Amino acid sequence: MGTLTRAIRNVSRRKARTLLVVIALGFSMAIMISIPPGIVANQESTQSLTENYNNTLTNMQEEINKTATLIECRTSSGQGFPSGDRQGMPPFGSQQEAVYVNETVVDEIRSIEGVKDVVEFLEASSNETTSETISTPRGDFTVSRPICTITGVSLNSSFIENYSILPTEITSGRNLHEADSGVVLVSSNLTSYLGIEVDDEVEIYGESFTVVGIFEPTSQGRFETRIAYMNISDAQRITGNVGNVSRLDVYAESASDVDGIADVIEATYTDLYVTTYKDRLANLERMQEMYTETLSNAQSTIAQTQTTATQAIIIAIAATSLIVLFVMLYTVRERTKEIGTLKAIGFSNWNVMSQFMLEGILISLVAAAVGIAIGSVAAPTLTSLLLPHVSIFGTRSFLGPVNPGATASQAATVTLDPQWMLLAFGIAVLLGALGSLYPAWRASRTSPMEALKYE
Amino acid sequence: MSELILKTEELGKVFKMGGRTIRALHEVNLQIKKGDFISIMGPSGSGKTTLLNMLGCLDKPTKGKVALDGKDVTKVSEKNLYKIRRHKVGFIFQTFNLMPYLNAIENVELPMEGTKRSRDEKKQRARELLKLVGLSEREDHRPHRLSAGEQQRVAIARALANNPSIVLADEPTGNLDVKTKYEVVRLLGKLNTEQGTTIIMVTHDSQIAAHAGRMLFLNDGKLLAKEKQGTHLAKDALKCPNCGRETQPDDTFCPRCGKQL
Repeated sequence: MGTLTRAIRNVSRRKARTLLVVIALGFSMAIMISIPPGIVANQESTQSLTENYNNTLTNMQEEINKTATLIECRTSSGQGFPSGDRQGMPPFGSQQEAVYVNETVVDEIRSIEGVKDVVEFLEASSNETTSETISTPRGDFTVSRPICTITGVSLNSSFIENYSILPTEITSGRNLHEADSGVVLVSSNLTSYLGIEVDDEVEIYGESFTVVGIFEPTSQGRFETRIAYMNISDAQRITGNVGNVSRLDVYAESASDVDGIADVIEATYTDLYVTTYKDRLANLERMQEMYTETLSNAQSTIAQTQTTATQAIIIAIAATSLIVLFVMLYTVRERTKEIGTLKAIGFSNWNVMSQFMLEGILISLVAAAVGIAIGSVAAPTLTSLLLPHVSIFGTRSFLGPVNPGATASQAATVTLDPQWMLLAFGIAVLLGALGSLYPAWRASRTSPMEALKYE
Repeated sequence: MSELILKTEELGKVFKMGGRTIRALHEVNLQIKKGDFISIMGPSGSGKTTLLNMLGCLDKPTKGKVALDGKDVTKVSEKNLYKIRRHKVGFIFQTFNLMPYLNAIENVELPMEGTKRSRDEKKQRARELLKLVGLSEREDHRPHRLSAGEQQRVAIARALANNPSIVLADEPTGNLDVKTKYEVVRLLGKLNTEQGTTIIMVTHDSQIAAHAGRMLFLNDGKLLAKEKQGTHLAKDALKCPNCGRETQPDDTFCPRCGKQL
């Protein structure tokens, strides 16, 4: 009958008390093991947010640099591309009233001095809409939006080769070619939504189109626009807009011609909204400011998280030690007569002390195991209860909708680190030993004569 | 002549309680020989348990000395007294003081912890002792499944675990019914006569005390000069001294001759 066996028997003898202590300690342990991964998850989430922002800004900068000669001309309510004067746009591509101009203006614009090419687009919403619920920090709300945005493109091989008029991230099938008709190139989120693949038929405005390729949208997030690219003549026909366009990409011979051409277009065609690289740069600067502020908020949240976490861990450690201390003090008091008997029959001070310390450590070991079990299951809940959230609701970029908040919350999953769990296990044992040190020492110093008198 | 196993010289103990000085023991001179079975009688507060605590190294005297096996134990440091308690002394308590979470054999093994005996030797020794006290069939029973008499017999076996020089019994029959207390005292007598165990028993029950070889009297912390020979019977302890017929432990008069026992 060794000291360990006796300690196990003693711990298991008072089941209800041991259970309560183990649960209390277990929760402290669970907090200890859940919080650090929670902080790491928040840090990773912020890191991911930063990378996402930086990538978006870099892409935008590159796009702006590449399109220094591009002058975008849109009808007043064209789809998708927010410019400086469209900050009040509803989010997530809600359906708007479509306005078009006759494509006869194309030849007129092409004749302006310094214009190299004019590429026509027709952007329209699909005739079918869908209701979707969006969760935001301000609550859930439901929006009605088109199933997809149809983008009709002038499929001229020189345009396709020289300008970025079609998506480049083709994940399946092929891109659109010159003179393609009756076919569509669709975004991956649309294929997911409709459950279609390459070579499947998809019905748009009552006409059947063959899916020839799937592309990955350049922006991330759950609510990016679902897009179907097709030949502009197909788009004009099915939407009943033969001869109409909603957007013109005007390319100047050189960057120095851009401002002059833009001025002429704005003066001549008052129903067109003209955007040059200067507008896009201004937009980029506004986005940078907004992102900087958002990241600053995130950093502040992280700092707050770390402070809260440190406090929670200190409280958990103190609580664990105190629980063990008081329980062991109570146990020593309750078993005073037993201590007296043990000393009377020849137990040394060390024998008595090791017996009580072992019991304290044993309770802590069981509690640590329970804590790790609770932590493994409840870490995300505990983290969300104890730590502030890093959740910044995003905005839309001019390249497309970006929802960094959604991305961040998706990334913030708590994963328990085995090394930290092992460390927490060690800390629990250490706290058990520390918490039972004084009670065990007191037990060992008890006078056997006095202890035997104790009732 | 028997070997002297325990000797006290001018043993005294003074307690201070709230400014009052209480003289619990006063110049007690005692000599115990190997194989003695001694009972110490006295009224409550006479210093019986205090004396037993001094003899068993549970407490230190304020005056005098206690020599156990020729060694003055009052000079042994508190830290090392456990060795004497473990190897030289066996304790039997009024309330048995068994560990409730251990079974009979484990309780008997307990004092052997820390000795050089192997695990098997400890178990073997505990079995032998339980057999000696008639509890071979109960070795796996925890205290709550044993009667009071059986618990005290386990406690007696535990006291003998390390083959001590002396067994100190503090009111060993105090918590037992009439029949059981005679069984227990008879067992002590048997151990004394058959095993040669030296026993000092403190009691205030004169009938129980009479079963010892010598009866000493303590009053107000002083050992009285008068000393009485006990019946010191083991097997014969319950026979009528007049007609020799066996009597029951709770008989006051002999059922055969009718004389007072």
